Amino acid sequence: MRSIRYLFLGCLYGMLLTQTALAERMVTDLSRHTIEITSEFSGTELLIFGAIERGIPLDDGGHGVVVEGIDYDIIVVVQSARNDMIVRRKELVGPIWVNKEFRTLKDVQGYYAVTSTRPLNHILSNEDLQSLQAGLEQLKIEFVEPVSSNDQKAFRDGFIRNMKAKKLYYQQEGTISVLDDILFRAILEFPANMPVGNYQVDVHLVRDGVVLLSEQSPLEVGKAGIERLIFMFAHEYPPYYGIVAVIVALFAGWLGGFLSRKLSG
Amino acid sequence: MQIYLPIAEISINIFLLLAMGGGVGFLSGMFGVGGGFLMTPLLIFVGIPPAVAVATEANQITAASVSGALAHGRRGGIDYKMGFVLIVGGAVGSYFGSMIFTILKATGQVDLMISLAYVLFLGIIGGMMFVESVRSILRNRRGDKPVVGRRQRTWIDALPFKMRFRTSKMYVSAIMPLAIGGLVGILAAIMGVGGGFIMVPAMIYLLHMPIKVVIGTSLFQITFVTASVTFLHSVNTQTVDVVLALILLIGAVIGAQMGARVGLKLKGEQLRILLAILVLVVCAKMAVDLVVQPDELYSVSSVGVIH
Repeated sequence: MRSIRYLFLGCLYGMLLTQTALAERMVTDLSRHTIEITSEFSGTELLIFGAIERGIPLDDGGHGVVVEGIDYDIIVVVQSARNDMIVRRKELVGPIWVNKEFRTLKDVQGYYAVTSTRPLNHILSNEDLQSLQAGLEQLKIEFVEPVSSNDQKAFRDGFIRNMKAKKLYYQQEGTISVLDDILFRAILEFPANMPVGNYQVDVHLVRDGVVLLSEQSPLEVGKAGIERLIFMFAHEYPPYYGIVAVIVALFAGWLGGFLSRKLSG
Repeated sequence: MQIYLPIAEISINIFLLLAMGGGVGFLSGMFGVGGGFLMTPLLIFVGIPPAVAVATEANQITAASVSGALAHGRRGGIDYKMGFVLIVGGAVGSYFGSMIFTILKATGQVDLMISLAYVLFLGIIGGMMFVESVRSILRNRRGDKPVVGRRQRTWIDALPFKMRFRTSKMYVSAIMPLAIGGLVGILAAIMGVGGGFIMVPAMIYLLHMPIKVVIGTSLFQITFVTASVTFLHSVNTQTVDVVLALILLIGAVIGAQMGARVGLKLKGEQLRILLAILVLVVCAKMAVDLVVQPDELYSVSSVGVIH
């Protein structure tokens, strides 16, 4: 009776072992989980790194050579919290360019970046990229107002061009390096005007057109120190901020006049 | 050295800001003008959002005018009663100006309105200054003297609600100073200027106030009206950047000292022509930006919260 039980447990253990040996495991982390925007802030970089525990025998893949179906691909998507945004289009009114038509975009990211080991359309099918929301072309952008398909494309493209110009949206393919099919690292850049709030970092492990694993890590972006205080104060207590701004100006102006009178004799 | 401005939400070189404050301060010290009408366009040119540029500049002018107002007050150079009437007008004007500003900001037209207002006012003022200084240079060459005579009675003397202003030794209708104050209040709210360039000539030529109280009284009014604008913009649109205002002020205080010294050594008319040309150049730049097709027709803004 006892020996049968041991045999059963042994089999179970053996099954578990083969399971872990065949399925991939991925561990990821960020160089930091909070980014503080201080007065010297002029943009920053974030390192996203991780390790893959291989699910296939090493000798199946050629080292240093990318082999479809055998080597791993990584897609990293970083996005900020979502907000409604307004896109305006300038049109010629008489001799001058005036903001005329506008569309409201529903719940779009203030920051969106995607990087990958290879061009995205080599890694996954368009449908899969869409479901992962990986890639600027695949990004779902919805409008609050009803919009014609012509306008939809024009406003969508205009929006993405704007965000790319501000370095708030970007796509970099082929910049993630995977070392020995085990270690990978991705570097993401954030401009000085990055929105604050909670970000989400998604790392997807792909092989042979199939998403094997997805890991998610939070990233918090806040204004630190005096800047955060000033920003919060201005937006949460506008009348008091106004009064303080006036008092500070009156005092600074008086002090400036006083000092320059002293200095000029 | 980059500095992150908390309300403008951009990162900018602090020395650039100090130099701008110093440069405009230098000019204002040299020419004896406020400088708001040069600083606001400059801030827009370096990438500060126009709405933040206007509101912050109003805050900086509060600081820039208070010590001058105090100095004139000590010397008895302020007609407080007249100042009070101008402030009442200015308060009403800045309230409506701020309301227009808030509505236009919500509908995406505030940048356009700021540019149009600047093109119009800089064009008029630059043009008038240019013509006036050329004329006075020609007059000096010919050796003519400006004609001084007893002032004529005008329609302004016929207005009702007359008030007695003891310091200015005047008995005029309160409607005119209220209207002037109101116009200056609107301009302060939508352009981020003190409005001295309109108020001073209006006080001299329309109200016929004694020259010795004109500057002091206008500074007195500007201090209060720009304070009111600062408060209103803080409440309505949260566009006042105190950090930016203080940096500009530091530059302006130093620049104004140097400018005042240089100004004493130069001739008035040549100076005014220089200033007029500068104003016209800024005006032209803003006008060109309005007419030339922008590289990007689309722009993005977050959905602002309107209180």
